[in-house]
Amino acid sequence: MSTASSPASRDFTQQDRPAQKRWTADGASQVPYWVYSDEETYRRELERIWYGPHWLYCALEAEIPRVGDFKTTTLGEKPVIVVRSAEDEISVVENRCAHRGVKFCQSRSGHTKDLLCPYHQWAYDLRGELIGVPFRRGVRRQGGMPADFDTAKHGLRRLRVEVVNGVVWATFSDDTPPFREYLGEKFWKHYTRVYDGRKLEVLGYNRQHIPGNWKLMMENIKDPYHAGLLHVFFVTFGLFRADQKSAVDIDETGRHGVLISRKGAQEVNDVTADMRNFQGDLKLADPRILDVVNEFPGDETVGMITIFPSVILQQQVNSLTTRQIVPTGAGGFDFHWTHWCYADDTPEMKLRRTRQANLFGPAGFVSADDGEVIEMCQQGFAASPDAEALVTMGGHDIAPTDHMVTETAIRGMYRYWREVMGL
Amino acid sequence: MSTLKMDRPDDVAAAADAALRARVRDFYDAYYDALDDVRLEDWPDFFTEECLYRVIPRENHERGYRLCTMQAESRGMLQDRVTGLLKTQMYAPRYYRRFPGPLRVTAGADGIRTRHNLLMVQTLIDRQPTIVLCGVCHDRLVEDEGRLRLAERVVVFDSEMIANSLIYPA
Repeated sequence: MSTASSPASRDFTQQDRPAQKRWTADGASQVPYWVYSDEETYRRELERIWYGPHWLYCALEAEIPRVGDFKTTTLGEKPVIVVRSAEDEISVVENRCAHRGVKFCQSRSGHTKDLLCPYHQWAYDLRGELIGVPFRRGVRRQGGMPADFDTAKHGLRRLRVEVVNGVVWATFSDDTPPFREYLGEKFWKHYTRVYDGRKLEVLGYNRQHIPGNWKLMMENIKDPYHAGLLHVFFVTFGLFRADQKSAVDIDETGRHGVLISRKGAQEVNDVTADMRNFQGDLKLADPRILDVVNEFPGDETVGMITIFPSVILQQQVNSLTTRQIVPTGAGGFDFHWTHWCYADDTPEMKLRRTRQANLFGPAGFVSADDGEVIEMCQQGFAASPDAEALVTMGGHDIAPTDHMVTETAIRGMYRYWREVMGL
Repeated sequence: MSTLKMDRPDDVAAAADAALRARVRDFYDAYYDALDDVRLEDWPDFFTEECLYRVIPRENHERGYRLCTMQAESRGMLQDRVTGLLKTQMYAPRYYRRFPGPLRVTAGADGIRTRHNLLMVQTLIDRQPTIVLCGVCHDRLVEDEGRLRLAERVVVFDSEMIANSLIYPA
């Protein structure tokens, strides 16, 4: 595995490209279906994107508050352990014994003094340094490791880590810029609007496997066009509608995006008239799910951030989640939702957040639609790898907008993707 | 049972117990029939007006986290879940079939506590059936308007990595 140099400096030759795969159109307004289904392209994504110069979401700091607390997760396809190795230090190490490659930690989370592989009891400290090799000097002068065996050279692979306002990020590459620079100043502002340094607390998890390419999840949250059409629940009850004051912002590279909107009231107007399945007369029997309070500066009620490539940071009314993407091949990904609150929230606020969580996750009034439609996309792509998806809503530009009738942020991601992938 | 002479307190208790168990079994037969037949409009009526319904991943339950995959705090919220399924949500057509395990019944001061395993199998068009949920139900039934109703139903599922969506309720 390479620890990639910066994508721009790479020399991409024809032979280097996956066989038969050509992105013939210019720009990013037409996306060939093979980008979602071709395994060779996917292997290249792992190398250049997931193990390349990008920060990947690992955990909330609140999940591992005490020294020795750990959780396991997967970055790209590589299992890792996220562990608090000192009061003010979090380490992320590969969950793979340096001896025989065992994925030795099988727990989802826990507390430990050291990291121990059960196979031959090789032991590592919380920073991944090898501290114990049984029978290293042999048994009764027989066997043992060679005299030149150096424990310092056989630790667990350690990743670069940054803990930023309660969120743990890691990267496999030495070339990844510092996290703030990786976001860019504009997205640093978006990020710190919700992750403002206050202490966070976990409310719980949802996990689902979505049988669709991982990029479709990024696209979904870069696509405000669908939100006002597919999600009848949103539109019906005024949480997200195409005529509400909104914005799409994109960072300079095009890889990160944010959808910003303001909720309105339930109403029937010329916009809802364009929706075939709009349900203007629906009433909730118990509308407490819509008991929303404005808690952030400004009048925006929605801020959905995609931090390329691994996570969606959701603020949808009072529901706050991180949605981590773990790719499992070209045709699927695991989607891990961590729902959280601020540690100083009142019990009423915590209840409000868990109640609104009914909108999201694998059974969410809104989010279940997304999992379903992503699976249906993948079904459509599979048989026609050379056909192309049209991404021309709002024109061909890649630029921030002050409305949601656009696919500009998807174009931004593919402009960046083509650059990194050399395709 | 009919030939039994009910003159000893133990026999009376046993008969009452058997009658109660039969009622509870009938209740669940009707409950799962309604759901398997997708008579969703009938589903909220199996619950009391003030009720608690939770479908919660095992890891959340064991760690004391309140977050549920589906949650309702009243019959009204269950009705809203049905409204969502019938009027606003988009999902591929599918069948769910529920296989409840043996029932444990305990009468208590606050109602009848029951516990049983639940396997839910999902079949999508032209696909093989898959398990969509595997878990245990911790329920509390009470007498309400002359019938048994669920005051509380907590479905704790082991199958935390859900096969895409959980559409219909447990």
